[in-house]
Amino acid sequence: MATESIIPILKLDNFLISSPQIAIHDRIAVQYKDALLQKIAETKSKGLILDISAIDVVDSFLVRVISDVASAANVMGCHTVLTGMSPAVAITLAEMDLQLKGVFTALDIGKSMKILQREEMRLRD
Amino acid sequence: MVKSDLGEYLCSKLDENRQAIQAEWVSQMEALDLLIELTPNEIEEQFNAVFDTATSCLRTGTFEAAISYAGNLAQKNIPLTLQQVISGFMIKRDIFGRFIKNLYEGDTEGWQNMLDYYEPIHRSVLSIVTVDLIKQQESKVRQQQDAILKLSTPLVELWENIVLLPLIGMLDSVRAKQLIEAVLTYIGQTKTEIIILDVAGIAAIDTKTAQHILLTIQAAKLMGTEIIITGIRPEVATTLVTLGINLTGIQTRGNLREGIKYSFGKLGFKLIENPKN
Repeated sequence: MATESIIPILKLDNFLISSPQIAIHDRIAVQYKDALLQKIAETKSKGLILDISAIDVVDSFLVRVISDVASAANVMGCHTVLTGMSPAVAITLAEMDLQLKGVFTALDIGKSMKILQREEMRLRD
Repeated sequence: MVKSDLGEYLCSKLDENRQAIQAEWVSQMEALDLLIELTPNEIEEQFNAVFDTATSCLRTGTFEAAISYAGNLAQKNIPLTLQQVISGFMIKRDIFGRFIKNLYEGDTEGWQNMLDYYEPIHRSVLSIVTVDLIKQQESKVRQQQDAILKLSTPLVELWENIVLLPLIGMLDSVRAKQLIEAVLTYIGQTKTEIIILDVAGIAAIDTKTAQHILLTIQAAKLMGTEIIITGIRPEVATTLVTLGINLTGIQTRGNLREGIKYSFGKLGFKLIENPKN
């Protein structure tokens, strides 16, 4: 089954929103990354919002995948916002000193939209 | 004599001489300065409690009286120190011991029998009371520690989406851990955008503490909240530089006022003077 049918990627305005509701193990993560980048290219989106509020465990591999997606998306002119991280996940990642380069973080989807709109304005100016 | 008879016999003799024993107990306690802050009433009460606890245990051979004595002390919050309570029982033991010796003047075998009965009971009473008291004090200390820890992370909402967290005193590892937990849980619940960490009340900082603060800031950033630091003292700033702690990417301001100004600016507010005033 294609990953996109398992993890939906929705288009809203100029942005993409995706909220995985299942555990993302390594194989799915790689497919998910490809699906996201493909979709960004297809829709010419200016922003990507990843909502991980339903994910209990984030390992270093997933962090790298997210980082990779963000870097690749950046090159394609699309900003990435990560949202919905739980305190437990945040503390684990901070303790492992994992850097999420090129990724914005926000408290919820509404604030993510604001960040993306702000970035879009800045690019336009 | 069977055991319960021994207890009954001893207690009846003790009861007959209650006055004399009380006088002796009080004078010995006073000699050790252990009754200073007590009123005559309280002294009498205290003696009665010790005496009745001991005789009740001797009579029955069980220790319910000792357990309830310790429970009473805790419940009524009687201001007795551990030393007062333990000495009270120790002195009671000495007096009873001499009393038994006099009771069996010349009867070595009877004396031996009575001591065999009396000594283990006395030991148990003393250990039950002491252990119970120490347990109570330990739990009191624990409660107070919990209370202090809870008080040590006061999160004050200054404005919508701006929360102030003033830190005061020393930040040891336990407190730092509690700080991380409290802050992240708070962010998770309230979705606050900016937290101002005011460290003006922190006198000194070490590597570990600084790392805990950095960890908190990083974790909060991952959740989408910015933590800014205000009020770093000159000594603390010097230490941070000497320790080589990297604060790049973290907003720091000299004082709380500047921190609030920055927060308002970030949220799109601007403070202006009202010319009418």
